[in-house]
Amino acid sequence: MIQAVDVKKSYQTGETEVKALQGVSFSIEKGEFMSIAGPSGSGKTTLLNLIGCLDKADSGKILIDSETIHDQSKKELALLRREKIGFIFQSFNLIPVLTAFENVSFALSLLNVPEKEIEERTLILLEEVGLKGMEYRLPNQLSGGQQQRVAVARALIKNPLIVLADEPTANLDSKTGEDILKLMKAMNTKHNTTFVFSTHDQMVMDYADRLIHLHDGQIQSDELNPAAKG
Amino acid sequence: MKFLIHFAWKNLSRYRKRTVITSLALAFGIGLYIFTDSMLVGIAEESERNLIWYETSSARIMDKEYWQEKDNLPLKYAIDNKEQVLDTLKAAGIKAAPRTVFAGEVIVYKDPYPEDGSIYSKIFAIDPLKDSDVFRFKDAIVKGRYLKPGENGVLIGSWLAEDIGADVGFPLSITTRTRDGYMQVIDTTIVGIINCPNPYINRASLFIPLDTADSYLDMRGGVTEIDMKYSNFRKAASISSEVLEKLGPLAERVEIKTWEELAADFIALAEMKSKSSGIFLLLIFVIAIVGVSNTMLMAVFERERELGMMRAMGMEDKQVRRAFLLEAAGIGIIGSLAGILFGILLDFLIIHWGIDYTSILRKADMGYRVSGVLYGTWNPSAMIKAFFIGIFLAVASAWIPVKRGLKMEITDTLRNV
Repeated sequence: MIQAVDVKKSYQTGETEVKALQGVSFSIEKGEFMSIAGPSGSGKTTLLNLIGCLDKADSGKILIDSETIHDQSKKELALLRREKIGFIFQSFNLIPVLTAFENVSFALSLLNVPEKEIEERTLILLEEVGLKGMEYRLPNQLSGGQQQRVAVARALIKNPLIVLADEPTANLDSKTGEDILKLMKAMNTKHNTTFVFSTHDQMVMDYADRLIHLHDGQIQSDELNPAAKG
Repeated sequence: MKFLIHFAWKNLSRYRKRTVITSLALAFGIGLYIFTDSMLVGIAEESERNLIWYETSSARIMDKEYWQEKDNLPLKYAIDNKEQVLDTLKAAGIKAAPRTVFAGEVIVYKDPYPEDGSIYSKIFAIDPLKDSDVFRFKDAIVKGRYLKPGENGVLIGSWLAEDIGADVGFPLSITTRTRDGYMQVIDTTIVGIINCPNPYINRASLFIPLDTADSYLDMRGGVTEIDMKYSNFRKAASISSEVLEKLGPLAERVEIKTWEELAADFIALAEMKSKSSGIFLLLIFVIAIVGVSNTMLMAVFERERELGMMRAMGMEDKQVRRAFLLEAAGIGIIGSLAGILFGILLDFLIIHWGIDYTSILRKADMGYRVSGVLYGTWNPSAMIKAFFIGIFLAVASAWIPVKRGLKMEITDTLRNV
């Protein structure tokens, strides 16, 4: 479903060249719930950015649904993100002027889904993520955990091919963070949506079915976790 | 699109303080524009009116040679068959009044005047019975009375009277030259003081009866001009052509100059002032643009992450741009509407009460034919124009910050992806 072949990416910081990824190859299958782990500066975020079509690799290939994204235009990449990729951010990144309902339905509005269907799907999903009764609250009227639940619903509403979550629990306390992980796992099981998240938190890794460890821009290990929680 | 409009409205109502402040900056500019335009149009319209009512009439018949030397006010190029011309005009239904205009030196002596002195002046010899058919001086007498035929009376402009310390009943001598070039002194008595809305008349004009002047100047029945009042002064050129045709053989020795030709200096000045006023209006808008663009710049930078999020979710750059520009257009609409209301309020004040510029206009010749209180005028087309300019300015001033925001990498705007 998603394939990365010998992906390299480097950045220029002042006069120093930082090699963020140095030839990373792996593939992700549908329905996986996997974690990319590693210390700060290991290349986790860069890798998620590349898979999420937010950035382009210097060399190597990334294929999404057998299509290479390297040569695609900005418009095509925007369309790909709109239809196939959901994002969950560490700092939630909800649009402050929109209610929980509107933040979630926003993703469907971009796909020109009929209004009635948007309403039905959004309300069902918000109930699934435990936000029934809070649909019309603004982000600043919700707790951090509730905001992240909105973000999960926003990522899932369009039935994406993959959900990319960058340290989704980093801004939450451990209890709330674990609740979010359970929610993501439940959504993964229920909708068979692929989840890839980056973390350096052991508790989060414990929930992953598969763990890729990055170190200095290279894959140190890629292993299954048969004892995953959730 | 519906979502984007909804989104823009949400942002406008959510960031109420910002919306209000930015709209106010725009409203201030729009309001000032409407007010200034009202003043300028009002002054221009009143100037035109006062020019025609007190200075040029709708059009003027004169000897063909006269125009070349008009600055010297030559008496030798006179219309000698004025009665025939007046009869033809009367038959054609056109009101007309004969005049002889000449230059002279007004001489006054101490007692009753404050001191001895002389001043150059333009003297209008008018037919007291016919002049009011074309001009409106009869209504502009502020002291004394209007002229009577055959008398040695003179009407004097109020500012000139103030300058020389003249009053009704005071003697006044005018030295000039006759039609044949001989020196002549006309001894008159001031019978009335004119204060009309045209400063050119108030500043340096004298009026004496035509028949009195005819005798002193030895005009032998000739006049230097015949002024006409048309039913529609805007069509002066075409009506003048018709008049020339009706004059037939009489037209061989004369020509007609419309008020626009007679007041070419005013028209040119008005155009120049209109252009310089345009620069002033531009400055007003520059202030508004700076206000709006500064706020829009802040708004876009404040919401960099939101902008990145929208792009990450798959909004194309053009859709993001549209969302922000719609918001700017919203500010433009609110600001423009508020500006129009502000402008209407200012217009109301300037139209009903005006601004008294008498002291300035008294001392300085600004070229306008307005001598006292300047009034504005309602100009709906300027309001409509201002409304659309306001929206355009708001959108244009948001364009650059949005473009700058969109140039940034999505990853840089999100930072924490």
